[in-house]
Amino acid sequence: MTTLAHIFKYKLLTLIKFQEAFNTRSIIKNIGSSAVYFLFAAGIYIFTKNILGYLIDDVKIGLYLLHRFFFVVLFLLFMTVNIGNMVVSYSTFFKNNEVGFLLTKPISFTKIFLIKFLDNFFYSSSTLLLMVTASLTGYISYFGLPWYFIPIAVVFLILPFLLIAGTLGAITLLLIMMLASKFGLKKILASIAILYGVFIILFYTFSSPVQLVTNVFKYFPNLDNYFGFLESPLIKLLPNHWVADAFYWISAGKLLAAGWNFYLTIVIALLFVMFALLLASKWFYKTWVVFLNVSNELSIKKKKSGNAFFSFEKKSSLNPGNEALLKRELLLFIRDPSQWTHFLVMVFLIVIFILSISSIDINFLNTYNTYLKTMVYLIIYLFNVFLIATMSLRFIFPLVSLEGETIWKIRSSPLNNKKVMLTRLSIYFIVIFSIGQLLNFVSNYQFPAVILIISQLNTALVTTTLVSFNFGMGSLYANFKEKNPIRVASSQGASLTFLFTIIFLVFLTLLLFAPLSNYFLKFDNFNSASVTQLLTTSIMLAIMTIIISYLSISVGIKNFVRDI
Amino acid sequence: MLKLTNLTKKFGNFTAVNNINLEIKAGDFFGFLGQNGAGKTTTIKMMTGLYTPTLGTVHVGGYDIQKDHIEAKKLIGYIPDQPFLYEKLTGREFLYFCGGINKIEKNELKKKIEETIEQLKIDDWVDKRTEEYSQGMKQRISIASALLHNPKLIIVDEPMVGLDPQSALVVKNVLKEKAAKGAAIFMSTHSLNVAEEICSRIGIIKDGKMIFEDENEVIEQIIGTDHQNLESLFLHLTK
Repeated sequence: MTTLAHIFKYKLLTLIKFQEAFNTRSIIKNIGSSAVYFLFAAGIYIFTKNILGYLIDDVKIGLYLLHRFFFVVLFLLFMTVNIGNMVVSYSTFFKNNEVGFLLTKPISFTKIFLIKFLDNFFYSSSTLLLMVTASLTGYISYFGLPWYFIPIAVVFLILPFLLIAGTLGAITLLLIMMLASKFGLKKILASIAILYGVFIILFYTFSSPVQLVTNVFKYFPNLDNYFGFLESPLIKLLPNHWVADAFYWISAGKLLAAGWNFYLTIVIALLFVMFALLLASKWFYKTWVVFLNVSNELSIKKKKSGNAFFSFEKKSSLNPGNEALLKRELLLFIRDPSQWTHFLVMVFLIVIFILSISSIDINFLNTYNTYLKTMVYLIIYLFNVFLIATMSLRFIFPLVSLEGETIWKIRSSPLNNKKVMLTRLSIYFIVIFSIGQLLNFVSNYQFPAVILIISQLNTALVTTTLVSFNFGMGSLYANFKEKNPIRVASSQGASLTFLFTIIFLVFLTLLLFAPLSNYFLKFDNFNSASVTQLLTTSIMLAIMTIIISYLSISVGIKNFVRDI
Repeated sequence: MLKLTNLTKKFGNFTAVNNINLEIKAGDFFGFLGQNGAGKTTTIKMMTGLYTPTLGTVHVGGYDIQKDHIEAKKLIGYIPDQPFLYEKLTGREFLYFCGGINKIEKNELKKKIEETIEQLKIDDWVDKRTEEYSQGMKQRISIASALLHNPKLIIVDEPMVGLDPQSALVVKNVLKEKAAKGAAIFMSTHSLNVAEEICSRIGIIKDGKMIFEDENEVIEQIIGTDHQNLESLFLHLTK
């Protein structure tokens, strides 16, 4: 414990000293950041309270379905933390210089694992924790529960829940590396991806939200009762079910029943942590050696086969400057596992989402009211935008930072800096733009054609705004010393960008809600409706896109050419 | 080829480079000496466009590095003190990349890369990814990348750092050859013996100010009268 405390003390000191010098600029910047964090937390609090009021009092979905909705959200949170930890741990466990340094010191492998795991877990989950806490405050306030439920729920329910997700990610990674030494990394990665895919499909099959809504509504108006008997017993084995159930019982005032779910979550989290530590004591060093071997093998294979398609030696019709930049970008991307694995994971999740969404028959909504139809449309739309925002944060925000310390070469070369950055930006923009358009089409094709077309247009505008904004903020908060794009994408600047994105999502909801409700109301009643309001919204969105994109790109380029 | 006029750089209240004036002609081999923190790297960063001067100008071949930076940079070959390279590219790929951004035609570039590989003796490991390189290997790739487009002005910041004696000899010879062929060379170094051996002019910077600047012949005369060698003169001037 002494060693751990000693190391954590110095890590904390490094973190504090890494912050900027104590001057007017940094004070203003920090006050500004704190204000944004505070406003964001306040926004989430108000949003949660209002959305709960809307769902419970206006739509009258009842306590049970409300907590089943939480159950799905918590599943997404679990998967995000789990996969996120697995990908980040690959960099921090094996590629980080600090691990190499600690391995030469008389420190047990278990302690090194623990240091790096906690480093990952808290570094990348701080914003998430802020969001959850603010949301929880809104929840506690709406149900009129005492304030001390907030720290109790965060410490004894949310943290253990996230720990289960995180440790499971780390355990899976250790397992992947051990198996990779026997069967090869590619085969194991493919198998794990298939397993995750099967798991996600099974989750949606067994939880079947649409069927559950239909079954629960048969008991109308007693929708506050517990309808656990309508669910598959397998679903009840999942940690997100325990957490959702704990909140259900809290909101229903049955604290003893909630206590069982708290107990279960804490015990399983502790078991997972202990198992991870046990595994680390046996495998951490072995997997580190496996990583070195795998890296060397990959390097030798690459040397033999080369990358004929992107070969610099190959002639091209592009001008030499653009060709060099394009090939560099592609080669650096495909050779950095933290880039392509994360990209594949995101594409994989998107494919799962597309498969799930395309199998839902939107027409069943006609049996419910217009507001529910608007809500479903908005939730799916906002989820699409959220995916675009996540991709922008992960791949656009680190774009300037990833020039890294090699930026001297670009900056001292006879190149137009603006053109360099715009060339790089456009590569990623095209990919994210295409994904956004595809997502939007798949999730909206069952709505009237005019809604689909306006939606495609709005998605194009939102993608442009988010990509530009992430580029500008990424340049403003560029860190050329950080080589790991995942850490760049979870830095203070990235958290701030994410918070602004959430504010943008709320703004988008407010902007779209009334025109959409009116459209569906008229369409449901008269089978035709005017799109003027929707088009006006799109024009407003277009003006905003032009302003934000112009400012963000200007700031981004200006900061790229600052003193380095 | 290079003209620094009243060049000044301030970081807040601290003046890192203070009113430097200097002119270097084609064929000159200028040795830029100074203690750690004297302002050598800051001066070089302003010369290469990585820093914006607080005051004064840098002209390369008549082009202002701030106003006509693309034209000015076409003439420069820059070798930094820390040779950061793209870790996931091989040395050869990095050279192709550098040739591309200097807009060298592909056939010519291929020929030039082969020549440079031969000249700097980097053939054994040029196809490995640079993440596997030692400091000296990275330095040699960095040097090779700066020479591909036949720059008229070569700016070198501490070229001998991390090089083994054989590599240092190769680099010294390459730089001497470039100067003999008419390139102007601006070299910042701590190696006084190297400066004494290959530089035709020497300047010494202290606390951001140029405190000494002259031809090597004049320096040799000064050394001959009052000092045993350049090291003794340097220590005397910078104490």
